[in-house]
Amino acid sequence: MLKVQFINPFLKAAYRVLEAETGAVIEKGKMTIEDAYYTTNDITSMIGVVGDVQGTVLYGFSEKTAKELVSVMMGKRVAIIDSLAESAVGELGNMITGVAMAEMERANYNCRISPPLLIIGRGSMISTLSFKRLVIPLNTQYGEVQIAVALKESENAGGNIEALEN
Amino acid sequence: MALIMVVDDSEFMRVRLKNLLTEEGHQVIEASDGHQAVEMYKQYKPDLALMDITMPVMDGIAALKAIQAYDAASKVVMCSALGQQSMVMEAIKSGAKDFIIKPYQTDKIIATVRKMVG
Repeated sequence: MLKVQFINPFLKAAYRVLEAETGAVIEKGKMTIEDAYYTTNDITSMIGVVGDVQGTVLYGFSEKTAKELVSVMMGKRVAIIDSLAESAVGELGNMITGVAMAEMERANYNCRISPPLLIIGRGSMISTLSFKRLVIPLNTQYGEVQIAVALKESENAGGNIEALEN
Repeated sequence: MALIMVVDDSEFMRVRLKNLLTEEGHQVIEASDGHQAVEMYKQYKPDLALMDITMPVMDGIAALKAIQAYDAASKVVMCSALGQQSMVMEAIKSGAKDFIIKPYQTDKIIATVRKMVG
């Protein structure tokens, strides 16, 4: 069953990582729940989660936003998204998910994550199968970063969902 | 000057660490997964390895164990966004000398490297 509290560790982690890496000032948008196909943005970083909680987390960026973020991360103007810039975008998703996993552990959910997979190109359709998604846009001075969390509690997971309230 | 192996599947993170360590006067070699790291460790015997955890082919914990089995005196510092207490404990139990959590703070990396290799 979808639990809206699962978005909270990712929000906390995104604030921390985006601020540390890019100095982003973040304004949280309105959360929605989706179960139709996920439509990719220009660049989408996809990371798998296994363990007490399982599923997929997606981070969507427009090309313009990715260039702005990566330029700050690399300390120089990035005009094209080459392999180095792609790896920086992937690493943002990896760091946010990794930091979120530490938050999940504090609520007694122990999980591992996969290396990031990047989908390049707007408009691809991704099915998260029976997993509904919690989707939240984060508005920054560099543009919007969209986080989509499609996670389910595994059977016999001993986590404390209330510990993820805020 | 020390020979330091940077192990991360992210090219961006390898470049970032390489630039930082080179500025500190160290020589840097790079590996992009755990298996490559083990092979390069045997070939070059670096003074220190900075090792990511979540990587394809072989993860950082498995690579740490393999390097420790080959050279019990190896110095491996884990560098990961996975800051779970259980992960830190597993790394330290497996022989890691320290654990740096991403996002990196430059001064923390420099201080840790200085502590390890002088």
